[in-house]
Amino acid sequence: MKTINKILLVDDDLDILEQTKVMLQSKGYTVIDTDNSENAWKLFQEHKPDAVVLDLIMEEHDTGFILSYKIKKDPHGKTIPVIVVTSAAYVTGYKFDSSTSEEKEWLKCDAVLNKPVNIEDLIKKFDSFIEKS
Amino acid sequence: MNSIENIKPKVIIIDDEDALRLGVKKLLQMEGYDVSTAANGTEGIALGIKEDFDLAIIDLKMPDIDGITVLKNIREHRPNTVCFIATAYASYDSAVQATKIGSQGYIPKPFSAEELLNHLRMGYEKRKLILEADRLRADRENRLLELSFERTRLNTIINSIDDGVLVVNRDEQAVYFNASALKYLNLHEIFLGESIADILPPKIREVIEIHFDKPNNDSKSYSEQIELLPDEKLFVQATTTRIPNHDGTLAGVVLVLKNISEFKRVEFIKSQFVSMVAHELKAPIAATIGFLNLLLQSEIEISDEQKTDFLTRSNVRLSSLLSLVNDLLDISRIEMQTVVREIKEISLKDIVTDVIQLFNLDINKKNLSVIFNCEDNLPTINADFNEITRMVTNLVSNSVKYNKVGGEIKIELKENSRYIIFTVGDSGIGMKPNEKKKLFLDFFRAKNEFTKNIHGTGLGLAIVKRIVDSYSGTIEVDTEYGVGTTFRIQFPKLLETEITTTINSH
Repeated sequence: MKTINKILLVDDDLDILEQTKVMLQSKGYTVIDTDNSENAWKLFQEHKPDAVVLDLIMEEHDTGFILSYKIKKDPHGKTIPVIVVTSAAYVTGYKFDSSTSEEKEWLKCDAVLNKPVNIEDLIKKFDSFIEKS
Repeated sequence: MNSIENIKPKVIIIDDEDALRLGVKKLLQMEGYDVSTAANGTEGIALGIKEDFDLAIIDLKMPDIDGITVLKNIREHRPNTVCFIATAYASYDSAVQATKIGSQGYIPKPFSAEELLNHLRMGYEKRKLILEADRLRADRENRLLELSFERTRLNTIINSIDDGVLVVNRDEQAVYFNASALKYLNLHEIFLGESIADILPPKIREVIEIHFDKPNNDSKSYSEQIELLPDEKLFVQATTTRIPNHDGTLAGVVLVLKNISEFKRVEFIKSQFVSMVAHELKAPIAATIGFLNLLLQSEIEISDEQKTDFLTRSNVRLSSLLSLVNDLLDISRIEMQTVVREIKEISLKDIVTDVIQLFNLDINKKNLSVIFNCEDNLPTINADFNEITRMVTNLVSNSVKYNKVGGEIKIELKENSRYIIFTVGDSGIGMKPNEKKKLFLDFFRAKNEFTKNIHGTGLGLAIVKRIVDSYSGTIEVDTEYGVGTTFRIQFPKLLETEITTTINSH
């Protein structure tokens, strides 16, 4: 069974980035972090992380979508959990969720979590991904 | 005979016998008639046509024209004159002929006064009936005309209103519609009696059909907002109301379609603003809670240095949350136009001087040099002190926040014939062209390597724009990425109200 050790963390809110990083580190994970999607893509290709946690709304409203889509298209990306975190449950009237298969197809990620992120929930999402694969 | 009516019956006697003419004239005048006479047929026709007589007594045999021809001529022009033929040569044939062409009666000569008066009395009664019938007919025609005019007018009115109107009967057939109904339903024509099932979108039919299952005493109207064309092109409010028969049973349903596309657009913008606000409010709260959670969880190891850092950062986030709430309140006040403005004479120079003073600490911290040029004898403006201070504060605050260490701030106040011109320039980070476009949008903040450690609400310039707009001023921006930004505000010297007063005082 695959284990998760190295996590790529992307969030343009530096405070949230720092907090999540400290929490993940306290659970023994190695964290690579960045505050923009461009750099995130570079780091993803360079480090081939075991999981990606990324913020939905960064430079643009859909930056997180595009990045997760790109990662999920990548041969390595397909094999790892990509988790989107957001404080925008209802941005511009649209609900973001991945509860139906249709939404999962459209929103290329394995789970959506609301901010502030509960570290236990995040780890559960990792676990359930590993169980499935 | 005319004791009741004041009008004298008008009668003409056409007879070539002088004695008879005069005798009858006297008799009738005594009986209250208005009498004219003609001594021959030609004269008789002329007079009988010229005036509208109630009654005519025409001698059958006259030297120039015979009585039948006279009768024919008069009746042709005056069909309502009641005519009598008088003759000593009474024959059955001539009587029939005379009656055929419209003679009321046939008076055989010689006649007694009693006989003549009797005939005339009956003739006059007939004349009155004819006139009454005429009047009634004319009345009826007038009323019909009025009615059709009324109907045309009503049609014109209903056709002119912007709301679509469509009436259907119990069998769901279209019985009435106006031009707007065609427009909103995107139809070229509706044929009266056409089944609506064939022509109406299902959603609109539903709002109509609700009424068919309701009890007679249910007079409620039903309303539904329906998107008829996608992409916010056409949104209508469809309201239906039952039309009752006299006995309360359903006669039909009237559908009114109101175009609410614009309203929907505004609603969408508003809801978008609300979700943006919610997002902006949530971010600092989430960040603060995140830090507090870290501090509270004993199993996570945090150094004292980190602790102080987290508390300081929480503090910064909460302070910016507070300024965001203040900005939002300001925006809502400006938007709702409930701001009680205290318009008075204020000096821009004084305000700018004060604001620079306010930022002295930050200016010194960043080692910025401030150059403030103000034209001599700059006129005062009439405006609300708080709003103008807010405007200047936001601009100067930006020029400090987004400046480089050791940079420069250039502030200038001057005037031309119509405006006072206020410029604030910095030697800061500037903006990229695509950032410049979005500059005045609510919550827009340029996100790049320079700005990530600068806190702001994203509403500062949006507020400046709203204030400038509300004073009919203009704002322009000149910027180059990595070089600096200059804002230029033109403030009208006279407020519109003053212009009006100036005009009125002349």
